[in-house]
Amino acid sequence: MAIAEQKLTSTAPTTSESFQWRSWLATVDHKKIGIIYIISAFVFFIIGGIEAMLMRVQLGTPNNTFLSADLYNQLFTMHATTMVFLVVMPMNVGIGNYVVPLMIGARDMAFPRLNAFSVWLFLGGGFLLYLSFLTGGATNVGWFAYAPLTQTQFSPGQGVDYWILGLGLTGVASIAGALNFIVTVLNMRAPGMTINRMPLFVWMNLVVSFILIFAFPTFTVASIQLLFDRQFGAAFFNPALGGDAVLWQHLFWFFGHPEVYILILPVMGMISEVLPVYSRKPIFGYSFVAFSGVGIGFLGFIVWAHHMFGTGMGPLANGFFAAASMVIAIPTGVKIFNWIATMWGGDVRLTTAMLYAIGFISMFIIGGISGITLASPPIDLQQTDSYYVVAHFHYVLFGGSILGLFAGAFYWFPKMTGRMLNEMLGKVQFWLMLISMNVTFFPMHFLGTEGMPRRIYTYESGMGWEMWNFIETIGTFFLAFSVLLFIYNVLVSLRSGEVASNDPWDAATLEWVVPSPPPSYNFLHIPQVTSRRPLWDAKYPHSTADDHHGEKSAPSQIRYEYSHEDSPGAKEIHMPTLTYMPMVLSSGLTVAALGFIYINQAILGLPMRVASYVFIAIGFVMVFYAIRGWVLDSRRDSPYLGHH
Amino acid sequence: MRKDARQKVMLAMVMAGITMVLAGCANLPATTMYTYGDHATRILDLLMVVFWMAVAVFVVVQGALVYTVVRFRNKQETTALPKQIHGNTKIEIAWTIAPAIVVLIIAVLTFRTQAANSVMPPEAIKIRSIAHQWWFEFQYFNQDGVSLSTPIVVDEQNQPTITTATDLYVPVGVPITIQLDAADVMHNFWIPKIAGKTYMIPGKSNYLTFTVQEPGIYKAFCAEFCGEAHAQMHFRLIALPQAEYDSWKVNVAKIPASAAGTVQVLGLTGDAARGAALFADAKKQCASCHVIAGTDAKGKIGPNLTYLGSRTALGGAILPYSVDNLAKWLQDSSAIKQGNLMGRVIKKGTLTDQEVADLTAYLDSMKLSVALPAEK
Amino acid sequence: MSSSAGHTHHGEAHQKPLVGSMGVDSRKLGLWAFIGSETLFFATLILTHLIFYARTTNTLSSVGALELLDPRLGYLAIELTTVLATLLLASSLTMVLALAASKARDWKRFRFWQLATILLGASFVGGQIYEFIHLYHEGLKLAPAYEMHLSHEAYKALSALNIDPSIVRLKEAGEHATALVPSLFGVTFFVMTGFHGLHVTIGIIWLIAIYVKVLRFPESPENPMDIELGGLYWHFVDLVWVAIFTLIYLI
Repeated sequence: MAIAEQKLTSTAPTTSESFQWRSWLATVDHKKIGIIYIISAFVFFIIGGIEAMLMRVQLGTPNNTFLSADLYNQLFTMHATTMVFLVVMPMNVGIGNYVVPLMIGARDMAFPRLNAFSVWLFLGGGFLLYLSFLTGGATNVGWFAYAPLTQTQFSPGQGVDYWILGLGLTGVASIAGALNFIVTVLNMRAPGMTINRMPLFVWMNLVVSFILIFAFPTFTVASIQLLFDRQFGAAFFNPALGGDAVLWQHLFWFFGHPEVYILILPVMGMISEVLPVYSRKPIFGYSFVAFSGVGIGFLGFIVWAHHMFGTGMGPLANGFFAAASMVIAIPTGVKIFNWIATMWGGDVRLTTAMLYAIGFISMFIIGGISGITLASPPIDLQQTDSYYVVAHFHYVLFGGSILGLFAGAFYWFPKMTGRMLNEMLGKVQFWLMLISMNVTFFPMHFLGTEGMPRRIYTYESGMGWEMWNFIETIGTFFLAFSVLLFIYNVLVSLRSGEVASNDPWDAATLEWVVPSPPPSYNFLHIPQVTSRRPLWDAKYPHSTADDHHGEKSAPSQIRYEYSHEDSPGAKEIHMPTLTYMPMVLSSGLTVAALGFIYINQAILGLPMRVASYVFIAIGFVMVFYAIRGWVLDSRRDSPYLGHH
Repeated sequence: MRKDARQKVMLAMVMAGITMVLAGCANLPATTMYTYGDHATRILDLLMVVFWMAVAVFVVVQGALVYTVVRFRNKQETTALPKQIHGNTKIEIAWTIAPAIVVLIIAVLTFRTQAANSVMPPEAIKIRSIAHQWWFEFQYFNQDGVSLSTPIVVDEQNQPTITTATDLYVPVGVPITIQLDAADVMHNFWIPKIAGKTYMIPGKSNYLTFTVQEPGIYKAFCAEFCGEAHAQMHFRLIALPQAEYDSWKVNVAKIPASAAGTVQVLGLTGDAARGAALFADAKKQCASCHVIAGTDAKGKIGPNLTYLGSRTALGGAILPYSVDNLAKWLQDSSAIKQGNLMGRVIKKGTLTDQEVADLTAYLDSMKLSVALPAEK
Repeated sequence: MSSSAGHTHHGEAHQKPLVGSMGVDSRKLGLWAFIGSETLFFATLILTHLIFYARTTNTLSSVGALELLDPRLGYLAIELTTVLATLLLASSLTMVLALAASKARDWKRFRFWQLATILLGASFVGGQIYEFIHLYHEGLKLAPAYEMHLSHEAYKALSALNIDPSIVRLKEAGEHATALVPSLFGVTFFVMTGFHGLHVTIGIIWLIAIYVKVLRFPESPENPMDIELGGLYWHFVDLVWVAIFTLIYLI
């Protein structure tokens, strides 16, 4: 089944169809929800990028007065909070939402309404976080919010409370999303797709979902405790009243370290999909790559205090966490070698997606190496809290997560939109982004080594930091331009890009069986899976292989589907109905959370707490209404009742 | 890639590499690459080993990556599939063990350095540093009966013999243990050329031990975000030869002579005696925050101002000391250091220019004779 | 094992459940994963409480006042909390009976046992609220110190110890004597048990919703699964109480 035989009919809606608000606001379709996540995350990426550019303008010259100290402090806090919680996480979840059900041959996620709830609640949380800029100032205590700076006497105003409640909402959204992924991947795979035949992107999403549900509760508890400190007279983290400032750090990083694996593992899964396709060979060492992901997931829970080497835990504790942190380099290294070996002996096509995947590996090597030096407590004591660590995490987060997400974007854009992105523009954008990324972040290693602390809104002249800071600021502008190029590419391609077939890349996994974009029900006929690369084995049944490690059972019967909403047989497929309830529920929680922020304030000209109680009451009314409606929806859709 | 294009890229990379090496080579004021304290020196020695291992790993892995992409790049439209190899258990085990060995070496070296840097020799001089938003306080104690690893308790029986701020004087060649405390939020203590940083945590005391190897004035910072003026919370380590240090200790403990003399600043003549009277005037509020030995001032919120005339820097070590800078600070400290606590009380216009000139004269008149070493 | 996401009625190749699925109902699997998450949630709360309790006892024993001022001994009444634990455990039993009745499609019996579960749960919450109010009057609050009422002998004994007032501050006002002890015991106790109580309350609302739904649609075929899911959550909430009761009150 060669590519040339595929039909080239775009199933994307034509631009003449009017935008259906209801079909988006009341959607429970994983593909639409994925797109909402992706677009929202991208918008936040722009916002976070602007925050970064403002900071870099301020730091471009010494003793600069472009930004006040307080505004700078708000910006660096919100930049990090945005990039971690409102960009990389939702982008991962968005792409995962779109692709995972397709990859496992399912029609949707296990809990479509819960899925919708997650995306609207994520937006509610993001809204709260950014509302704070307009209501007296955003949080300005750093994204890890060390105690006791976060106590009311040092951080008056509501900024920190907005941060707590905003991230509380996004945290609930994330946990709900992770539960959804776990059940979907464990329970909804197509017949024949054993766990050992799942695509690696699905594996990584499963691992990350488990990490998430076990790591987030600690952060939830810590932030609840902080909220109680600030609003209800508790003193969990207030040493002046018997609390413990270091306890916050332990609780936060117990969550915070697994969090960074949540940020990177799905992207590693994407790379594990992209590389084999453009090398025209399977991933080298599927089992090692899968299990190294699991290993990283487990190990990620026992390394947290490498963020705390300077807090005086003592050499024994430091030694343990140092050892564990170094051990975690091993499964990471394994992945890199497996990826290189995947390309070795292959027929490597340097599409934009492939360039991004290779760029990811290259930049991640650098980030990984700086991570090794940071894992050594003595060296860490010089490097932490300086621009060296800023360099490290930007290499793994920008050079890693962001570049990898662009690889995923170029790879799956045709599937999601029915159009190909412009490759020429893409390649120009890639090289510009790669070079300017290095210009912006590599010198930070030097600055840190030269003694520049982090989180400083300005620095004096004569320290020798001027040149690199200026260069980094220039780099930022080119980086921003490369993102603009991407936006231009997307807009132009949506309008007039080459129409995409089902399988424009000659790929291996099930999402390329269906049209681009797929109909709402995904597969007309749920595929029967007999190997790890069901589509590939159908296209190339005689492709030589040393052996399949026993995972191939029968010739693949997969064929391309050319179906749409009105295809014969489509009407018999019953998808869950549209419903506004998930959006109402998330909105209710957002309103109640907003009320909670002002639980000890007199606002809107009303007496103390009145406005707060009103908001909370309205929020809870909405919540109960939505729950009732949701239960009725589930009755309506129940497979047992056969009402439709 | 075409041959000449490849050569250009190689050349660019070599130039970049040279720049990198050169950049790391300069002895900048706060660099960790030129160390004058044993703590930092051991760290640098460890880093150098790890750095070259890292360079080797980088060259090998990046090289393998680039080589693979270049060699196996699709040359023309081929339809023949490459060999569909799924893996090779032996190779995979080998490249699981290889990084494990590298990491093991780094771990062993790390533990050795860590052990060496944790040693607190019994003869170490113990000094206490308390971090405040946004300045560093230093307290010196009678060393008899001071235990190294338990916190010094300050009470009626045990008062510091010297209390000072911003300039931390230590002797060269002698182990120093700093007890690190914090009065409000979390800070940390970083003298890049001397030692790694350690957190200063309210409610907990930490310890940092180092020996300074050469006399000098060393730049130091708070590197833990601590609020609005974090960027401007600096201090200086002033390491003196033992004899100079001993003489400093004797002199700084003496009560400053009565205020006398004048100073030309802000186009006016400031009179130290008038300034002393202003300082003592309760309405001016100086004494509610600051202390000067020999006066009734009992303020605990701001730095100790005794012998301010000999400080190397002002405002949390962000302004080099001069009468002009001192006057500027008194006039409008918020313009220099946003968020600082003094600026909330002594705002622009709170003091008249003449008052500022007089206070400047007074504070400047308290000078110690000490031969300051060169800035390193 | 199916969920409501996209099922077909006519002639579609039937999914072989065993290979693509774990064989457990999706909602049950999801609820178990959620319970796993909530376990970490409560573990963090409990751990925080134990950390600060240990600090309090260390400080008090270092001045020899532990016996008289141990907040656990002074405040946590085993009698009341044993009754509460019994109520909650009994409610788990009645929940099991309710589920059994639903599986036998005996809706009258189901309603009886479900109502019993709800009432037992509500009594637990009521008892918790009573305990909170009682503790408040005894001097344990959501505040970084507790003020324990002292008997005359206790006051005498503590005065004799001459404890630093920053560790224990003795107050005497006529007939009443108290000791003010800075400690996070109260704060951590109320936050931990308060959130447990909140989870129980959510459970009660859930059980009431199930009760009402089954009352209206007794023949709905998914009722046993709905009841089982509510019951699963309820058992979890009960187990957390067993853990709290054991770790906080008993050991």
